[in-house]
Amino acid sequence: MSNMEPSGGTVVLGYVPTALGEAALEAAITECRRRGSRLLVINSTRADRTVDPNYAFTDDVELLHATLGESGIEHEVRQFTSTMLASDDVIAAAEETGAELIVIGVRKRSPVGKMLMGSDSQRILLQADCNVLAVKA
Amino acid sequence: MLMEGFATAAQPIYLLYALFGVFIGTAVGVLPGIGPAMTVALLMPITYSLEPTAAMIVFAGIYYGGMYGGSTTSILLNTPGESASIVTALEGNKMAKAGRGAAALATAAIGSFVAGTIATVLLTFLAPVIVDFAINLGPVDFVALMVVAFLTIGALLGSSVLRGMASLALGLFIGLIGVDDTTAQQRYTFGFAGFTDGIDVVLVAVGLFAVGEALYVAARMRKGPIEVMGMGTSSGNSAKWMTKDDWKRSWKPWLRGTFIGFPIGTVPAGGADVSTFLSYAAERKLAKGENKKQFGRGAIEGVAGPEAANNAAAAGVLVPLLTLGIPTTATAAMMLTAFQRYQIQPGPLLMETNGALVWALIASLYIGNLMLLVLNLPLVGLWVKILQIPRPYLYAGILVFGALGAYSLNFALMDVGILLVIGVLGFFMRQYGYPVAPMVVAMILGPMFEVQLRRGLQISQNDVSALVSTPFTWVVYGALVLMFAASFFIKRAQKKMEALPVESIAEEAK
Amino acid sequence: MQATQKNLGEVLFALVFVVLGVAGVIFAGTIEVPDLEFGMGPRAFPYIVSTLLLVLGAGLVYQALRGRLGAAEDGEDIDADASTDWLTIGKLAFFVIIHIVLIEPAGWPVAAAALFIGAAWALGAKPFWRSVLIGIVLALVLQYLFGGLLGVSLPRGPLLEGVEFLNG
Repeated sequence: MSNMEPSGGTVVLGYVPTALGEAALEAAITECRRRGSRLLVINSTRADRTVDPNYAFTDDVELLHATLGESGIEHEVRQFTSTMLASDDVIAAAEETGAELIVIGVRKRSPVGKMLMGSDSQRILLQADCNVLAVKA
Repeated sequence: MLMEGFATAAQPIYLLYALFGVFIGTAVGVLPGIGPAMTVALLMPITYSLEPTAAMIVFAGIYYGGMYGGSTTSILLNTPGESASIVTALEGNKMAKAGRGAAALATAAIGSFVAGTIATVLLTFLAPVIVDFAINLGPVDFVALMVVAFLTIGALLGSSVLRGMASLALGLFIGLIGVDDTTAQQRYTFGFAGFTDGIDVVLVAVGLFAVGEALYVAARMRKGPIEVMGMGTSSGNSAKWMTKDDWKRSWKPWLRGTFIGFPIGTVPAGGADVSTFLSYAAERKLAKGENKKQFGRGAIEGVAGPEAANNAAAAGVLVPLLTLGIPTTATAAMMLTAFQRYQIQPGPLLMETNGALVWALIASLYIGNLMLLVLNLPLVGLWVKILQIPRPYLYAGILVFGALGAYSLNFALMDVGILLVIGVLGFFMRQYGYPVAPMVVAMILGPMFEVQLRRGLQISQNDVSALVSTPFTWVVYGALVLMFAASFFIKRAQKKMEALPVESIAEEAK
Repeated sequence: MQATQKNLGEVLFALVFVVLGVAGVIFAGTIEVPDLEFGMGPRAFPYIVSTLLLVLGAGLVYQALRGRLGAAEDGEDIDADASTDWLTIGKLAFFVIIHIVLIEPAGWPVAAAALFIGAAWALGAKPFWRSVLIGIVLALVLQYLFGGLLGVSLPRGPLLEGVEFLNG
């Protein structure tokens, strides 16, 4: 954090290593360029299951850094094991940095699926203090 | 006889039962902490309403399915430190890391199919021969066989002989509670009405495997994430199927694994563990040139051989179960319990009295193997999804199922209480490194052993030397001595080998 | 400190085997032997097993005192280095007991849902309402499968009194 000059505002990206996550990453980079702000990438897991497909491992992280490096924007990646829900981690990061925008990928879900699974993105949309860009893959 | 079995097992309703069995079996094989023994124990209530053939087909499917599912987990999950305990993971993990996960899964599945089928053929032809022979065995011969079973299961399962034997003795002790079969005297019941019928082995199995495991995981839940490999999550690794070269390198290990695994499965020499290790050691020794160098870095032979051996051993376990009525693994003990629920006494007479059931069961093994081959590869994605079930739900669900299994035994609240006590016992056993399987097997074998022992001594009028009076007993006890000598060397070699990958993992970390 | 504590636990657990063995030997003597019995009788095997327990337990106590400890079991969901979380174990045991207490007055589905919800909460499930939903659905499905379809007589309880297809 300390090595980053807060030139403008901050954009927070809730990142998952899927096609949807990549699309959100592209959108976040475009937004940062347009606003001249820095990008904070959040990828957390509660590690409450044997396998968490939303947590990025070596290959994914390399790819992420490569994409961010090419983009030339100011960026930081935070990866950690958390006791909170992923949505809460993103919102906490946004509050901490006083972010101007949160970027997330949003899947299309049937009403039943939404009821059963709940939704991290829904929670972010409702709870965030700043604008939220919901990217559709 | 087998044809009649096929005629039964191929009926659509039985095909459905087999499908249900292999599906559930694979799922629990994939899930950590749940095994086929526990699943059969938890599903014991189905014996109330299903007829024996249907129930046994389901259980056999679970048994075989569990073997397939286990290999999927050990190949795809990168769980450092643990890989040493499962031989398949040694090479399979490395293959998956190198983007060859699909090939590793394929050789494991096809190898399991080949081995399972050949081993079932062996079972088909061997079983009647053994039955013919076993029918002439007297009580002292059975005593000898069971002594072998006790000592090998107690001493060879787990890492410490004393702990294995203590677990076994505890099982024998709990098996004593209740009314003595021979004289109808109460033993260790302390006037408790609930103890008169003894403590049900299903209760003990569910308590140890389900509740004990849930408590143990609750106490030390893994907090770090585990990586799934070789599935090409985002970077789009195109899944490479087995190449021509892979086939060429796999088929011999499959066959060798089969013929290593099957005999080891038939004798209670510590189960599948030993056979996979032996197969792995054999493949490493036999590999030449470039292939040899690959060992430790993802050699396909190291997956093909042990996986085949594993499944062949699983079929081998059914030989003593179906021909002698002697279970040598916890799952076999649960299947024997299921037989007993239907008032069917497994033993040399089983094939005569319940031939149709046995042959339908064996036929369903062929069918189940084929189903598993067809199901497994296309459904790998689904199996990995199963691993995404959050642990709180998974283990809470296991507790509910366990409580259901316990309560439905006699609809007695006390049984659920006993379940909890045994669960706590199972927790401490895991905590302090006691294997739980010997306890379950001993609970089943103990009463059978006592009956045969007393019968033998009654016939000989209390002459203890009768226990070693027949040529068969000499052979058995002689073999026991040889087996222990051999296992001593195998264990030493195994320890040596298991120390290796840990070092190589440490090297990688640098 | 940590090491001696584990040591102590292991000694105590091994002592359980010794105590069982001693009790087994003592109470084996109280088993009645019918007059007509010849051969081994109902006492002999209990004596053998109890003695075995006693000897093995003593051996394990000795080993534990000498510092030769067992290796705790491994597993994909196990963190081998974690220290034992007694609080969670206590919570799980508590909810099993709640389950037992609830079965008869409230019916099996209610008791099962309570066990699931409590256990999931103890194990750290989030958000809470999702465990509640899953618990209720699971309990009803199991009641229907085992009580309704397989004919296992699980008590429905007063809440679901009129619901015929859940009948155990």
